[in-house]
Amino acid sequence: MIRLSNISKSYRSAAGRESVLEGLDFELDEGEYVAIMGASGTGKSTLMNILGTLERPNGGEYIFRDKKVHRMGNGKLTLLRNEEIGFVFQNYQLIPNLSVYQNVLLPLSYQRKWQSKKRARVKRALAMVGLEGKLKAKPHQLSGGQKQRVAIARAIVNEPSLLLADEPTGSLDEKTTESILEIFDELHQRGVTIILITHDPEVAKRAERILYLKGGQIKEQAYETVQSL
Amino acid sequence: MRLFKAFKMALLGIWSNKFRVLLSIFGVVIGVFAVIALSAISLGVKDTVMKQMGGLGAEQIMVMPGRVLKDEGGAHNFLSGVSGTPSTLTNTDAEEIGKLESVKSVTPMLETVGRIQYDNGNGEPTTVEGMLVGTSESYQEVLHTTLEEGRFFTNDEGANKNRVVVLGSGIHASLLNQKQELPETDPAQQAVPKKAWWQKLLDRLTGSSVSAAEAPAEGESLVGKEVTIQGESFTVIGVLESEATLGMTSDNSILMPVQTALEVTSTENLTSIYVKADSIDNLAQAEKDVHGAVGINHPETDFSTVKQTEMLDAIDTVTRILQVMLIGITTTALVISGAGIMNVMVMSVRERTREIGIRKALGASTIEILFQFLFETILLCLAGGIIGLLLGYGFVTWWNESITIFPLVLPMWVVQLALGSSILIGIVCGVYPAIKAARLQPSRALRFE
Repeated sequence: MIRLSNISKSYRSAAGRESVLEGLDFELDEGEYVAIMGASGTGKSTLMNILGTLERPNGGEYIFRDKKVHRMGNGKLTLLRNEEIGFVFQNYQLIPNLSVYQNVLLPLSYQRKWQSKKRARVKRALAMVGLEGKLKAKPHQLSGGQKQRVAIARAIVNEPSLLLADEPTGSLDEKTTESILEIFDELHQRGVTIILITHDPEVAKRAERILYLKGGQIKEQAYETVQSL
Repeated sequence: MRLFKAFKMALLGIWSNKFRVLLSIFGVVIGVFAVIALSAISLGVKDTVMKQMGGLGAEQIMVMPGRVLKDEGGAHNFLSGVSGTPSTLTNTDAEEIGKLESVKSVTPMLETVGRIQYDNGNGEPTTVEGMLVGTSESYQEVLHTTLEEGRFFTNDEGANKNRVVVLGSGIHASLLNQKQELPETDPAQQAVPKKAWWQKLLDRLTGSSVSAAEAPAEGESLVGKEVTIQGESFTVIGVLESEATLGMTSDNSILMPVQTALEVTSTENLTSIYVKADSIDNLAQAEKDVHGAVGINHPETDFSTVKQTEMLDAIDTVTRILQVMLIGITTTALVISGAGIMNVMVMSVRERTREIGIRKALGASTIEILFQFLFETILLCLAGGIIGLLLGYGFVTWWNESITIFPLVLPMWVVQLALGSSILIGIVCGVYPAIKAARLQPSRALRFE
C-alpha cells in the first residue's frame, strides 16, 4: 500500500542544514497496524507529515496505492489527503469555535465529490467513539479523552484507507489511553491501515509491527527490544 | 461548487467569531452611515434650494446690486465673485422695468432688519425683531406664499403709501404668545405637546418654525389690529402660512408695500428686483431690455441682471463641489475603515493559523482557504454596509419626520454606492489577508503556537 524509498528530509537552521531523515526506506501493506517509535527529535513527526502529504521530502520516492505521491502537485496532494488519509494529533487540533458536529463534518465539507447523508455519516463516526450525544458541544466543554475521540471521529468520517496518529495518547491518563487504543483496535479489525507514532512501548505493543526511528533510518524492532531502548 | 463551500465556511467563520465581527465592522458601519447621511443632507439641500429657486420660474430675471463677474464665454460666473458695491437700485428702476413690453411683472424687494411692536393692553407691549420686507402685490406669485388669513396689500395701497402690513407666521405667533398667559393647570393636561431640546435648538437656529408651546391659541389673530413699526402705526391685514423650509422662508417677514417701506426706513435703495419676462422664448431679449432700462439711471453699471437659469447653474455647481468634498471625506472614512478591517483580518489569520493548518490537513485546498477568508472580509464589510445603510435610512426617516427645515433625499444610487463601496472595500482589503492564509504551509501552521 505504501512504499517509501530513499526518503530524505532536512531543515535549515541557524547552524546550517540539519538532516532529519536520510535514505529512509519503508513499506506498509494494506490493513496493517504499525507503531513508529523513536527518541525526541529523531523525525517521527516529520515522517508522519511526509506520509500524510503535509510536507514534501527533499528526495526519494513515495508511492501510495500505486500513485507517485512525490510527483503530485499541491491540488492532487490535497485531494489524496482528503480522500485517503485521516489524522489524529496529540493535541487534538479541534477548531475551538466549531461544535463537535461541525468539527467532524469538516473533511466531508472539503470533499470534491457530492456526499449524501453527511449528517448521518458524522453521527455514525461519533457513535463509534461513543460521543453521539455531544453533537452540539464545543471543544472546551469536553475532557481530554473526549476531545481525542472527536478527533478520531473526524479522522474516520471520510472512511480513509490510512489513519495517521501522532502521539494520540500523549496527554491522556491511563484509563483514557486504554479507551482510545480500543477504538484503534476496532478500526484495525475493520481493515483500516493505521500508523501510530508513540514513545510509549505499552501503546506501541498494541500494533502488529513496531518500527524504530534512529539516525534518520527506520528499523523493525521486537517489543522486548524496544522496552530496553 | 468549491466557491459555494468557501462561502459556507466563511459564514460559519463569521458566526463563530461574533464579537470580533462586531468590532471589525464598526468602522464600515460609521463610514457607510456617513456616506448615507452626508449624501442625503447635501442632496436634500440641493433639492430644496433648486426647488425654491426653480419655483420662481424659468422666465425669472433678477436685478441685483454689484457686478457678477463673467467668465470667458460671457456667462455670469458666481464662483468668480461679485464686485461688492452698496445697492443703488431704486423703485424708479423697478417702475422703468415695469414699462417694458417684454416684461410681465416686476417685484421690487427692500429687505432690512426691523422691529415690530404689539400692545394688547394687558401690560408691556411685545417687541419682536424680524425681516422687514418692502415689496409689491406680485410678491405672493413670485415667492409662492399663501395667506393663512386676511389679504395681501394691493398696488394701489402701495402707491398711496398705506400703513398696512402682512405678517409671517413666526412673527405673528411671537407677537401673540409673548404676552399670552397660559392657564395654570397641570402640565399633563395642557394640550400643547412639548418639543425636544434639539427641536427647540433647530427652531432657534433656523427661525423656521414656531414651537408648539408658543403657538397662538386657536382663533387668536392680529388681523385688523394695530402694530407699531419704526414708531409708526400699521394695520395688520394678513398673515402668511407657515413654510418651514430652508433658505427663503417668509415666516419671520414683516411685509409692507415697497413705497411705504422706503419711507418708513428712510432709505432710497432696493435690495433687489425680481422681473418676470413675458415668455420663456423672449428671456434673452427681456434681460437685454431690463439691463438697458436700469442702465439709463446707472451709467457706471453697478448692477447685474441674472437669469434664473444662470442662478440654478451656479447653485448646481456649488452643490456639485459640496458633493465632491463630501465624497472625498466619506471615501477617506471608508478607506480608514477598510484599513481597520484589513488589520483585523491579518490578525485573524495569525490568530487562526492552526485552524488554517487543520483545514488544510483535512483537505481544504489553497483556493478554498483563499476564498473563505476573502468572503469573510467581504461579508463583514457588507454586513457593516447594511447596518450603516439601515442606520442612515433610519436617520433620514427620523429627520424627515421630525425636522422641517428641509427634507433629506436618499436616492437609490446612494444606497447602491454605499453597498457597492463596502463590497469593494471587502475585496480590496480582503485579498492580502486571504493570500496570507492560503499560502500557509499546513505542517508549519499546525505547529504554530
